[in-house]
Amino acid sequence: MAKIIKVVVFFTFFFSLSTCLAQASPDYAIEKISFQSQPDYTQIFLDVPRETGYIVKELSNPPRLLINLYPAKLFLSQREIKIEDQFVQRIRLSQDSDHVVKIVLDLSNPEYSWAVFPSEDSSQIIVEVRSPEKDVVRRLLRGQEEAFTFSFSPEKASRVKGKIRRIVLDPGHGGKDPGAIGPTGLKEKEVTLAIAKELARLLRREGLEVYLTREDDRFIPLDRRAEIANQLKGDIFLSIHANAGFSRKAGGIETFFNSRYSYGKGAEEVAARENAAFGSTATFKEVRAIVWDLIQDQYRAESNELSHSIQRYLVQATNLEDRGVKSARFYVLRGAAMPAALVEVGFISNPWEERLLKRDSFRKKVALGIFRGLMDYIREYQERVSG
Amino acid sequence: MKRHLLIYIVVGVVFFIAGIVFAPALREKGYQIKEWVTRPSPPPPSTKTVILYFSLPGEEYLFPEEREIIASSDPTSEARTILEELIKGPNSSSLSPTIPPGTKVRAVYIKDGCIYVDFSSALAEDHPGGSTGELITVYSIVDTLLTNFPSQSKVQILIQGKPRETLSGHIDIRKPLSKNTDIIRLSPGI
Repeated sequence: MAKIIKVVVFFTFFFSLSTCLAQASPDYAIEKISFQSQPDYTQIFLDVPRETGYIVKELSNPPRLLINLYPAKLFLSQREIKIEDQFVQRIRLSQDSDHVVKIVLDLSNPEYSWAVFPSEDSSQIIVEVRSPEKDVVRRLLRGQEEAFTFSFSPEKASRVKGKIRRIVLDPGHGGKDPGAIGPTGLKEKEVTLAIAKELARLLRREGLEVYLTREDDRFIPLDRRAEIANQLKGDIFLSIHANAGFSRKAGGIETFFNSRYSYGKGAEEVAARENAAFGSTATFKEVRAIVWDLIQDQYRAESNELSHSIQRYLVQATNLEDRGVKSARFYVLRGAAMPAALVEVGFISNPWEERLLKRDSFRKKVALGIFRGLMDYIREYQERVSG
Repeated sequence: MKRHLLIYIVVGVVFFIAGIVFAPALREKGYQIKEWVTRPSPPPPSTKTVILYFSLPGEEYLFPEEREIIASSDPTSEARTILEELIKGPNSSSLSPTIPPGTKVRAVYIKDGCIYVDFSSALAEDHPGGSTGELITVYSIVDTLLTNFPSQSKVQILIQGKPRETLSGHIDIRKPLSKNTDIIRLSPGI
């Protein structure tokens, strides 16, 4: 009996010790990378913290897939994993900068297709490489490109590498949708349009190409807004809004980026396969919805940085309360195939801030703050890419 | 006359015996009734303490408030009671309501780990708007339900029987949502 107790105490001690150690390990640790080599595809499983986002880039000569994880810290002594199957030769790992882990897949074949998606519980990022004709989703989408007017592989857009030159601004609400209405009747849709126009003027002065999803007081469905940005092949998508709450006391500046949408492993593929089998348009709509949900996921790290730049400079310019950068699932941002953010430039439901938002001088201040944030983000992005 | 006397005696004896035979039964019955009467009257409906999430002054975070409700053996009717209390708003003056006051709960059902709540259109039409307002509304509903029904994992918000894209243009509510603990504060100071 005493022996059993000893053994139990011993194991409990080690169990708690190991859990303590696991707790104490630094944040955003990447500790495990595994892969599965199948006849039709190769899947690589990256065990990542929930906060970690990723950007994927295709590189050619030799064919490679570059995945940047952010924020992430590499806790693996191994710097190379050999796979040597028909899709992937090897995986190379490196700590690119303090919080960025760079993963390069050296591919076996220049003809391939890829997909990156989170696992159901968001604890893993799954990278899948397969031969092009086996990629059901992409084939389906390619066939329907006209109908959908967006590209699933945004990296192939005619973007000048490492150069941000086209910005799409989205003045929130409009037309039949006034947005939030202030205590004295100021409408959000007027405020957002005025600020977007002023911001466009400032950005154009810097030689940037700027487009607005609406130039006047008209209704544009939420889906359509990111679609416009994708069709224009924008490099940044920024949705401008004024905030509201239930009490008149809430106030301040807040910037949002999209949180990850997670589906089960290969959910979009299963859906696509079923659709291919039955040829039903209803299922096809679902496939489109899933693919659309996953687009912004790829730009999470960039969108996070963009949001922080805008938040910092906008708070400085307006002197309003800093409510910080947050992430949530924003319907308007999810389909944007570029770094994207939604900025709330003060509370129209707060009588004091409503008064400010009415003033032309304050709107100009807001535009200037966002402008500085954007320029700061562009400068840092270009330094990072060229350096 | 003698025959009559005999009949009287026989009938008397029969009644006497019947009395002996049925007496315990009658006594038993009387006792039972007595016992039933002296039992305590049926207990008043039992109450239960639930947690409701309302917003802190800046409307950045949700804060829990306890409330007594009448317990029900049916989880869907209990969920409905909880939501109706949530719509009533907070008792504490330092917290703010999170749902437009005219909102009605049309139906609640629970299936496969998900609580489906169908609200009247007031939830969207009378909503103040704003990303902050929407986050507060959506997660006060989701977090309140999932805190009180820990065996369920998701909440699907419906309006007039149908899923919607957003309440007023911001947060995506097409699909069932999981609990958001980041938006909860346990001390009002922060």
